[in-house]
Amino acid sequence: MADIDKTKDTVVAADGDAKTGVSRRDFLTGVGGLGIGAVLGGLIGGAFLLPEEVLAIPASGGYLLVDTKKCAGCETCMLTCSLVHEGRENISLSRIQITQDPFGKYPYDMAQEQCRQCPFPACVDACPTGAMHADEVTGVRMVDEAKCVGCEKCVNACVFTPSRVQWNHEDKHAQKCDLCKETPFWSQDGGADGKQACVELCPMKAISFTKEIPMQSDAGYDVNLRNEHYGKLGFPTN
Amino acid sequence: MATGGYVGKILFVNLTDRSTEEIATSDYEEYGGGHGIGSALFFERVKDKTIDGFHPDNLVTFMTSPLSGTLAPSASGRTETGFISVHSYPIGWYTRSNFGGRFSGMLKYAGWDGIAIQGASKTPVWINIVNGKVTFEDASGLWGLDTYETQEEIWSTVSHGNAADGTWYGLDTSRDSGRTTQRPAVATIGPAGENLVRSAIVLHDAGNAAGQGGLGAVLGSKNLKAVSVIGTGSIPVADPKSLVDIRFELQNRFGYNVDEPTLEAPVDNFSFYGAITSRPGYGPLILGIDQPARPQGCMGCFKNCRRKLASGVSNEDQCVESLFYMAGETQAIQNQATDMIDKLGLNVYDVKDHDYLYALYKMGVLGVGKAIDTDLPFDKYGSYEFIDAYTKAIAFREGIGDDLAEGIVRASAKWGRLEEDLASGLLKRPNWGYAEHYNPRLEVEWSYGSIFGDRDINEHGFNWHVYWMAYIRSMVGQDPIISAEEVASRLAEATGLGDPMGFDYSEVGIYGEPKAKVIAYHRHYTRFWKQSVLYCDWAWPMYINYNSDDHTGATPEYEPKIFNAVTGKNISFADGLEIGRKIWNLDKSIWVLQGRHREQEVFAGYVYDEPNPAPYSLPVYENGEWSFSDNLGRSLDREKFEGFKDLFFGVEGWDKKTGWPTRATLSGLGLDNVADALESAGKLGS
Repeated sequence: MADIDKTKDTVVAADGDAKTGVSRRDFLTGVGGLGIGAVLGGLIGGAFLLPEEVLAIPASGGYLLVDTKKCAGCETCMLTCSLVHEGRENISLSRIQITQDPFGKYPYDMAQEQCRQCPFPACVDACPTGAMHADEVTGVRMVDEAKCVGCEKCVNACVFTPSRVQWNHEDKHAQKCDLCKETPFWSQDGGADGKQACVELCPMKAISFTKEIPMQSDAGYDVNLRNEHYGKLGFPTN
Repeated sequence: MATGGYVGKILFVNLTDRSTEEIATSDYEEYGGGHGIGSALFFERVKDKTIDGFHPDNLVTFMTSPLSGTLAPSASGRTETGFISVHSYPIGWYTRSNFGGRFSGMLKYAGWDGIAIQGASKTPVWINIVNGKVTFEDASGLWGLDTYETQEEIWSTVSHGNAADGTWYGLDTSRDSGRTTQRPAVATIGPAGENLVRSAIVLHDAGNAAGQGGLGAVLGSKNLKAVSVIGTGSIPVADPKSLVDIRFELQNRFGYNVDEPTLEAPVDNFSFYGAITSRPGYGPLILGIDQPARPQGCMGCFKNCRRKLASGVSNEDQCVESLFYMAGETQAIQNQATDMIDKLGLNVYDVKDHDYLYALYKMGVLGVGKAIDTDLPFDKYGSYEFIDAYTKAIAFREGIGDDLAEGIVRASAKWGRLEEDLASGLLKRPNWGYAEHYNPRLEVEWSYGSIFGDRDINEHGFNWHVYWMAYIRSMVGQDPIISAEEVASRLAEATGLGDPMGFDYSEVGIYGEPKAKVIAYHRHYTRFWKQSVLYCDWAWPMYINYNSDDHTGATPEYEPKIFNAVTGKNISFADGLEIGRKIWNLDKSIWVLQGRHREQEVFAGYVYDEPNPAPYSLPVYENGEWSFSDNLGRSLDREKFEGFKDLFFGVEGWDKKTGWPTRATLSGLGLDNVADALESAGKLGS
């Protein structure tokens, strides 16, 4: 196992045994199939080794948790995200996306799609200029807009659907969830050490925040934010 | 001039020659948005106001507000429609209806503050709006499809199959046009609209309908199957920081805390309690409470009234939609029945009178070989077989359905029963042929507002407090949260009217001057804040709040606070009421030009002649004391109601003899051109 120093931006495998890490090929293979939870969360913890390139990236200092069974699809998170970051309303610029089929069957009718702050961030790996990077202080994967050349490799590299990295077509740069670190249009302090606007404003309290790497399954984080009061309303809590 | 909220232009569509035009929103900004702008456009562009609703010149508006598509709480998702009705009786008044969902937000992301549609296409067509690009698409392949099938076809066509996968897709070949993960927002008619059923609706997503007025039939007469919109643009917000802070403050101060509620129903899964607490998912009442589900909300809502169900059948339906077929033998049948009227595109408040038909069947008047001859299987009333046959007969105008497609009132008239059945109350249609919603003899801000207007008003602002609060508490053996006296005094304070006697529903109170001021206030409030700014009826106004100990509601503080944060304007609550008064007078003038006279503003016979047969709790002031009375045995007094009209017209500044607005009143509102039009028609009040 790698010897992890959380105070540093990089990590080196202590014993040099690549088998204890997860190769990028393994990672990509795992995505979308069985085992994604083990690959994305909890296996290594803290920091991660990509032995093929000796590239190492610190873990994010925080993660958004979503309980899709509790989501009401009101898109308040999307409207909030756009507003606090851009100062205008545009759900295409929201870094969290809610997709829903009005005719669908619960619980398969809706999804909350948030950046998972991947341990192995393909978006960071793909960026040719270093614009997509892990924040030095918090480890949050984010975009230095001044360095972005608009190649969209990060957008295409994200292994999830929809891509958690998006092209801001109005301001011409890539962007993604920064856990509200750069929110000039919000009166609160955001970021991994602060608050997140979607968490604060979700009227269903279906989004939460954690500093620990969450357990995951193929379907996403294994999260249940529904307590006994929610059950009294006649909705499932299991 | 606003610095936020509006996106700048309204799309005008002429279906006859398939041309389009851009109208500057700023020219109409004085009306706020929604209904106000729609009425101003209608007044200008429909030269002959006396045309029938099926006439090609009938102008249909789909309007947004500055708050649409923003974080404004429970105001972001409503779309207001305006048009000449084909549903009201005996005259098709200029009318309105609005619906929830996400259509209005998407329209603004596409760069449009509204759509105005005039003319008629020779062949079936649907309008495809992709950002600034508007195209007319052949709808011959969609004609005959139900509302769900139509939307699925259009979603797939516009997104090139991508929307169903939830992936990002571009709106054209350039990445600069932006990408979306969303399905286009589609408003469509079903078979009922195509077949000109007078109660036909326009449906959006699963359960959002412009219900009253027959807009579905109007679009059907224009050969317009659907309007689809997808957009990736931005809406400016004048003060983003304030808007976020206000939203946070409002929902934490007044909303239902799902994790730690302050007031919780004493019985689990008791949806009705939501009328007091605004708990999520209460809208469907009892429909679907037997199956796993989630709450579901319109764009930007903080309440999330509706539900999506494990069966997916009757998703998003609520309120009266969920009560459509209570005679249904099982919950599943009731779900399917409600789903069916959504798909066919029928208005529940018209077709729910299958119970009237069943009464005629039991009386031996209706059935095989009877005076009203039909082979609809009334012997299987309660089964799915019955409701399936009944709804399809109306939507496709088969057999007796051809009569019913004219609306239950016109059908009853054709059968020679209308006068008798309205007099007895066997058919409860108190005003303009629309269904009884709340007791018209008693809950008079509802019935008076309806008869002085154009439709069943469907405005619950007072109703939650004067009717539902005490009633629901009694359903679970609880006393009212606050007394009748406190309800009246809080409503008097929150409205700014100051006089609790305006909320006295006694046999004295409903005919008094304070009540006339309440009715006028209610017309003005709703015309601006609810139907033009588009605060949702199920959330606003918030006069009293039961989730906090002090019971203080968000009204009147928050309506202007939110509006100003979005638009950068600085209007007061009272300013909004005055704009509402202007819009209300504009509407009234349109009705006058259509032929309105005070003599027409009378209720169906049973409202006057049949005593209230069941307990109906409302605050009354009797013998020097306030109480929630059961009001048994009361009816409306004809003479006293006529006297009340004098008071009400006096408050409005209208001619007491005719009910027509005067020049002084219209001029005072900046409506000189409207006064001129009335004068030319010989219909200016004196």
